[in-house]
Amino acid sequence: MHRLPLAAAVLLAACSTARAPAADPQGIPRAADGKPDFTGTWAGPGFVHTGNPDTDKPQVRLYTDANMAPIKPDARQLLYRPYAKNVLIDDPTAVCLPNGLTRQIPSPYAQQWIQTPTQLVILYEYMHFFRVIPFGAPNRPHAPDLEPTYMGDSIAWWEDDTLVLDTVGLKAWMLDAYHPDDGGSRWHSDRMHVVERLRFTDAANAAYEVTIDDPAIFERPWVERWAMQRKDGWTILEFICEDNNRCVMGNCTPADVQQSASR
Amino acid sequence: MKLVAGTAACALLAALPAAAHHSFATEYDRTKPVSITGTVSKVEWRNPHIWFYVDVKDEDGRVATWGFSGAPPAFLQRQGIPKDVLTVGDIVRVDGFRARDGSTNASGGKVTFADGRSVFTASAEDVRPN
Repeated sequence: MHRLPLAAAVLLAACSTARAPAADPQGIPRAADGKPDFTGTWAGPGFVHTGNPDTDKPQVRLYTDANMAPIKPDARQLLYRPYAKNVLIDDPTAVCLPNGLTRQIPSPYAQQWIQTPTQLVILYEYMHFFRVIPFGAPNRPHAPDLEPTYMGDSIAWWEDDTLVLDTVGLKAWMLDAYHPDDGGSRWHSDRMHVVERLRFTDAANAAYEVTIDDPAIFERPWVERWAMQRKDGWTILEFICEDNNRCVMGNCTPADVQQSASR
Repeated sequence: MKLVAGTAACALLAALPAAAHHSFATEYDRTKPVSITGTVSKVEWRNPHIWFYVDVKDEDGRVATWGFSGAPPAFLQRQGIPKDVLTVGDIVRVDGFRARDGSTNASGGKVTFADGRSVFTASAEDVRPN
């Protein structure tokens, strides 16, 4: 009579124990399987942390020229696109098209990570994008015949305590929000391969290393070294790009913008 | 024939995407800073970017309305800037950058109130006035 409830209680207790984070001498949160646990809401590389108290200053983070590998002969025009007075070239996000993986990673908005033993889910506040990334064997192949997409095909694995996110299948799109004074933009090709490596440096901070390999443009892979910070008091908020539309193709006229003033 | 052409044009227009998320680089001119002092006439605390409007009277008493685009509401909320920071009737000076179309629209980067307080309303993507 009491066996089933007792068995259920034992199972429940076992499950509760299994889900409890294991103790870590450095205070790094760990999942039941002993892996570092990235679950939480994070201020990504798009924030700088200065002052006391921390100002969490949002800042558009760009890929730095100094870190880039040499550009292949004749590839400069693939990377740098001069101001074209065309929003689809100068900044497609102005018409709510996606910003793409390499702009999303350092976007100055919150991101929520949900880690399970089998997959990692990343919810980005900016533009409401998400990634569902399966864990598996290191350096395993991606699915064949990928149709290029804005966020690509990401797979994950562990190298000791380092989380590795490996992405291919990216559509040729903007590399970052780079705009020199003339309004030009910077793009990558559909051959780009992005590897993100994340490692806790203490209980709430992680080193965030991004390796860009775009053989259509660069002579070799190159690395950007950033960081992110877990913000236990943050939640992701609503960002709706498509709301409050105005300005056809980004060409605002006085009437477009002033229309709201008269309502 | 005219009707057909007109209908086709309307269909084409309807298919063109409208800008919602503002793009500083494509819509505003960083070489054209502007500083406007006037009275807040309307505040739209909406996604994807807030807009607020400031009425300015010229010497002849004519009123011009300036429209300023700022950061997304979520961005401002996380920076501790609440919705009621701007209210209709406030006398403010707004520093920003003019729209490339030369109209009385601008990126509203910094708002200074009559008592000297100021708040940045710009996005991280925007050029910030000093």
